[in-house]
Amino acid sequence: MIATIAIGIAATMVTYTVNYMMTQDPVPSKSDRLFTVHLSSWDPNMSYKLKDGKEDIPIYLTYQDATNLYADKKADKQTIISFHKAMVRAGEQPSGMATMTYLRPTTHEFFSMLEVPFLYGSPWGIEDDSGGNPVVVLSKKKNQQLFRGENSLGKEVLIGGLIYRVVGVLDDWTPLPRFYTTRSEAYTEPRGVFIPFQSSVNNNWLSGTDGSVYCWGEVNFVDLESVKSSECVWLFYWIELSSPKKRDDYLAYINNYAQEQRSMGRFQREQMNRLMDVSEYIEYNEVIKEDGNIAVWLAVAFLIACLLNSMSLMMTKFHGKGSEVGLRRAVGASKINIACQFSCETVIVGLCGGIIGLMLAQLGLHITAQVYSHLHAELMEMNFELMILTVVLSVLSSSIFGLYPIYRACQIQPSSHLKSL
Amino acid sequence: MLKMSNVAKIYVTDTVKTQALQPFNLEIKAGEFVSVVGPSGSGKTTFLNIAGLLEDYTEGNYYLNNQDVTHLSDTQKSRLRNEKIGFIFQSFNLIPELNLFDNVEMPLRYRSFSAKERKQRVIDALTKVGLANRQAHYPQQLSGGQQQRVAIARALAGSPSFLLADEPTGNLDSNMADGIMSLLKDINASGTSILMVTHDLEQADQAERIIEIKDGVLTESLASQKVVA
Repeated sequence: MIATIAIGIAATMVTYTVNYMMTQDPVPSKSDRLFTVHLSSWDPNMSYKLKDGKEDIPIYLTYQDATNLYADKKADKQTIISFHKAMVRAGEQPSGMATMTYLRPTTHEFFSMLEVPFLYGSPWGIEDDSGGNPVVVLSKKKNQQLFRGENSLGKEVLIGGLIYRVVGVLDDWTPLPRFYTTRSEAYTEPRGVFIPFQSSVNNNWLSGTDGSVYCWGEVNFVDLESVKSSECVWLFYWIELSSPKKRDDYLAYINNYAQEQRSMGRFQREQMNRLMDVSEYIEYNEVIKEDGNIAVWLAVAFLIACLLNSMSLMMTKFHGKGSEVGLRRAVGASKINIACQFSCETVIVGLCGGIIGLMLAQLGLHITAQVYSHLHAELMEMNFELMILTVVLSVLSSSIFGLYPIYRACQIQPSSHLKSL
Repeated sequence: MLKMSNVAKIYVTDTVKTQALQPFNLEIKAGEFVSVVGPSGSGKTTFLNIAGLLEDYTEGNYYLNNQDVTHLSDTQKSRLRNEKIGFIFQSFNLIPELNLFDNVEMPLRYRSFSAKERKQRVIDALTKVGLANRQAHYPQQLSGGQQQRVAIARALAGSPSFLLADEPTGNLDSNMADGIMSLLKDINASGTSILMVTHDLEQADQAERIIEIKDGVLTESLASQKVVA
């Protein structure tokens, strides 16, 4: 009985844990105040793509639009998010130890907007952004790789052969889902090396070597200035507003911006400019798939099957205790006393099933993490609330499914069982 | 102490009505020792179950300690059983997973006794039956006679007004049976009424009154007149 409940609970909670962790609000304090900006800058002769049978616009901005909006600073905070990859090593390491590393060129506001915690140092400053200074913020994991986890502030890191100085080291930071770029990155670890966006521009690191760059019109990828002035879209742009109510104001601002650009010959398609807050963007990106919910429901169905099986076992057990019930009734136990006694038994069975189920779930999550090692490990980790939920669910469900067996036990006629103990 | 007026029992199924007990009157006074005899299937156990509030009757009135029990709720009947009646069964009905102390303590758990008082009552009851030194033992470690003594201790622990014994010596050899009868007489002598169902006419004759049940009909005779088997 306990094993049946434990297996059902474990299967349900493994599935639920993964689904729950996938659907967490990654920045609960401001998810309704962070918006990504999408502009209708695409080819007037051909739509960017169709989504659900309707025309859709890019989720990226062109370099010129991103930098224009960033320069205007109409939001309370704004940041440009780009990508690149390069060979990275600590200055003190031999060149053979350099590893190919995914970089995150961005602006200093990125860290405060996404509430990124720092172990050492702080984000780079405004002047580093404007000048494209060679400064770098490392993730805790990357700092461990390069500097054995020591305080590396001021130390040199060679990125693509260029010397960068460490100004900050992040503490553990695992936003789930990692919402601010593409769906493919939603459940992978954040990148380990952050540099000023302008620095990547200065280094001519505009190529889409590890991300998507979508273009229309004339562009010469060899010529940096050509790319910068092209209609290629490849930059994520996020803003933070002090209140969700300012959303309309900002939308009006980007629509005005689009009209200005239109008057200059750009933005010739129907204007579908938009803002999406975090939850809208996660939904748009289909980061959370319906499959996950279906899996949870299947797991719940399996749990119910286990509980029905357990109920049957309880019926058998309580029926087998008919003579004991008869005796207890004879010596003074009321039906309520009998119900209390068997309720205690079902609670204990549920508690034991929950604890064993919790252990099995941990094992299941560990195995799942090994099988899906490319996904973020925290997806397969139960937080304290889920652990409590596991045990509570087990106790509650076994209690509910124990009601009928208990009712049947209470109906036992003592006189008919007293000769069989 | 126990008074039944025109009490009768009919079992009804979909197609058949069976008159298990014909209407009868009976009164048992405090301190009496009454035997119930009769062939198998005559209605002895049904009578005992009614007397012990384990089964409802279909007609008549039943007064226990001057209280009409006819319309009592399940909880009220349970409390009355617990406080006023002690049961002794042919097959002892001890719970094998519990030791002697816990077996004897069981009825006391359904009353508002403190743990200390429960413990004292259990020890007193086990002392009366001569098994106080074996309270940590389990039923299967005892002989049949000893197990029945434990069952008697369990019945006595709550200080009931009367004991209902359903063939208490039925599973025992004659030596053990004599010991149990002797114990029951001692208990009766101390003021507890006893209503005992038995097949053994010699044992029945040791009671002050004998009730014979045959085909659901109760008749009474004095013990000294002896019942014809």
